[in-house]
Amino acid sequence: MPADSRLFEKSSPPFRAPKNRFPEDLRRAVRRLEGRPEPLDEAAGLLPFGIAPIDQALGGGLARAALHEIAAASEAEAAAATGFALALAGFSAPARAVLWVAEEMAHRESGAPYGPGLDEVGLAPEAVLVVAAAHPRDVLWAMEEALRCRAVGAVVGEIRKANAVDGVASRRLSLAAARHQRLALLLRARPETQPVAAATRWIVGAAPSPKRALSAVGPSAFAVRLVRNRHGRLGSWTLEWNRAEHRFELAPTHSQPVAAEIVDRPHSAAVA
Amino acid sequence: MSTDRIRRQWREAGGREEREGLAVVGKRGNVERLVAVDAAAEQRGLRGGLALAEARAMDPALVVVEEDAAADARLLEAVADWCQRYTPLVAVDAPDSVLLDIGGCAHLFGGEAALREDLLARLARFGLTVCASIADTIGAAWAAAHFSGPTCVESGKERDCLAGLPLAALRLPEETVAVLARVGLKRIGDILDLPRAPLAARFGGELLRQLDRALGREREPLNPRLPAPSYFTEQRFAEPIAREEDVLATVARLAQRLCGLLERRGEGARRIELALFRTDGAVRRISVGTARPLRDPQTIRALFGERLAALADAWDPGFGFDLARLAILAAEPAPPQQIGLGANDDPAALDELTDRLAARLGSHRVARLVAHDSHVPELAAAALSAQWSTARSENGWADFRRFRAAVALPPRPLRLLARPEPIEAVAAVPDGPPLRFRWRRALHEVAAAEGPERIEGLWWSEDEAPARDYFRVEDVSGRRFWLFRAGLYRDLAAPRWFLHGMFA
Repeated sequence: MPADSRLFEKSSPPFRAPKNRFPEDLRRAVRRLEGRPEPLDEAAGLLPFGIAPIDQALGGGLARAALHEIAAASEAEAAAATGFALALAGFSAPARAVLWVAEEMAHRESGAPYGPGLDEVGLAPEAVLVVAAAHPRDVLWAMEEALRCRAVGAVVGEIRKANAVDGVASRRLSLAAARHQRLALLLRARPETQPVAAATRWIVGAAPSPKRALSAVGPSAFAVRLVRNRHGRLGSWTLEWNRAEHRFELAPTHSQPVAAEIVDRPHSAAVA
Repeated sequence: MSTDRIRRQWREAGGREEREGLAVVGKRGNVERLVAVDAAAEQRGLRGGLALAEARAMDPALVVVEEDAAADARLLEAVADWCQRYTPLVAVDAPDSVLLDIGGCAHLFGGEAALREDLLARLARFGLTVCASIADTIGAAWAAAHFSGPTCVESGKERDCLAGLPLAALRLPEETVAVLARVGLKRIGDILDLPRAPLAARFGGELLRQLDRALGREREPLNPRLPAPSYFTEQRFAEPIAREEDVLATVARLAQRLCGLLERRGEGARRIELALFRTDGAVRRISVGTARPLRDPQTIRALFGERLAALADAWDPGFGFDLARLAILAAEPAPPQQIGLGANDDPAALDELTDRLAARLGSHRVARLVAHDSHVPELAAAALSAQWSTARSENGWADFRRFRAAVALPPRPLRLLARPEPIEAVAAVPDGPPLRFRWRRALHEVAAAEGPERIEGLWWSEDEAPARDYFRVEDVSGRRFWLFRAGLYRDLAAPRWFLHGMFA
């Protein structure tokens, strides 16, 4: 896939049905009333990873106007999950602001966003607005407010507290994301058991970086598991971050089976 | 004042209404002395400054309470805040006075005498015994109020009315008054006609300065407790309001008035404060900031709506508010077209969002990342309140990128801990990266490491920190951390290691 079609440069304008397509118009109105997501091909857009197996599983790419949950595999891997989430946020809104809303506790425990490092994952620090909140409730409120704002491209909400996002709260976010055609990402410090109304759910951990030179740290690598997907298959992959081009790549299969084994894991195993 | 405060407390706690005299005692030197007495005690001949033992002998039934200077100061400040209903220029004059500059305000209350009556009546209802006087100078008003002079010193008559008052009315230190008394100077009238030079030589410049101030020969500035706003407007209610909707409707109405004024002057508000005067005398102040000059009443109302929602139960309306005042504490020039175009403008939309978030969560909690020209990692970037850093500038990141490209700066972590956390680390060679380290009780085996990147401490600064050797390490499961050793190895007996950040 060519690099330029991978990103959606501009958001589509809010949906307005043409007057002469009455049945289609009605169908959409009903869908909207019922709060069901738009069919994927009609949604504001998909965000292809540019990696065939992942895009296939997602039915073309990550739904842009939806809520996605990204959990760190463990607390020590919070930075990996953050990097993954911020990279996605950066893809979705190249020219617009990205809001990073977090509990103050998360900043204390996992570290505060560091501008020079944001640049490394392809997110311009000048476009980032960092919002801290004392309570998960405030994080959710700020996310919803931000999703409504025209100038915001993507919203990342970081909630550490376990079981702080219930079905109702996540559903509100999900609807707000769909209505305003913006990407909403929920970042968790560890995998949650509580069900969340997200389009997809990911568990992201760190993976050993490919050793291209002797005893040096290679490019960032992520062990990514897609454990819930409303529109397709599940899967698990090892990705590498391409610092120069700001995109993910599938980790090359080495002579040692680092990535190959994981790719073929059945879905049930991935869920567990 | 202290006795009033204590009686008020008793009344609130459940009606301990005593006839006996009440006195507040505090330690002065090595002796427990009376600090304040109430009217009943005063009738029995007790005065402030009396030793407690002596007072007990004079009045065995005296009720004695320990002094609490902090509580008195709080009460005085609350009274000063409450006095803002008469004028924005109110100063606290510790320990027991409040100064009001009512220039230009008195006619709103039906003249000076009527204002004084109103003030005394309201304060008496709160259970405070107050003396008040009105004069042209602070000194004269103070003297008249403290030494039962006339309630209203007419303009130009300061000299006549001060002449009969004791010298202590000039706000002089006690020693000066005592020295003056020793030479037979007891009343202000005694020194009015004395030659100035010997007086100053003998008793110090303070005496003449206070005299000049009281007589209006020297200007004395009032130091208001809260800065006087450039714009404010208020609404009084015959019937107190308590509901949130009523308060917000009032805000919208007041904002409407202010915005007209702002528009005529071509300004917009950056900081707005709502003061609500509760019927029981407490004053609630709620303020919101804005990221760009604002003069839209509905937006102002919405911001206060967020603020009230954030306060939830904390803004206790009690029996309601009888006065609401909206003040603009900071205004900036705003060209008229800026607001008209706002609706279709992305930065404006972002600023509106910032304002809403800041109103609810607090201004410091909504931040923009700013690059600083510093080689020390924690100083190189900062999160500044988004309302006060400019939205459209690039905040120093272009310079940072140029610098990074020029020196080929090694990668920086995605998340930085506010304070580097100490870790236990074992290194293979003294100067090398750690082999394994323990952070937050978990052991990490280092699989790969890059470094060191030496970052010098601030050797020119007072709190000089040692140089740091930073390593970028990856543990066996792929987590990447930014560690450093504080200090050069050769200078240290036992090297100390810290974890500072995490890479994606």
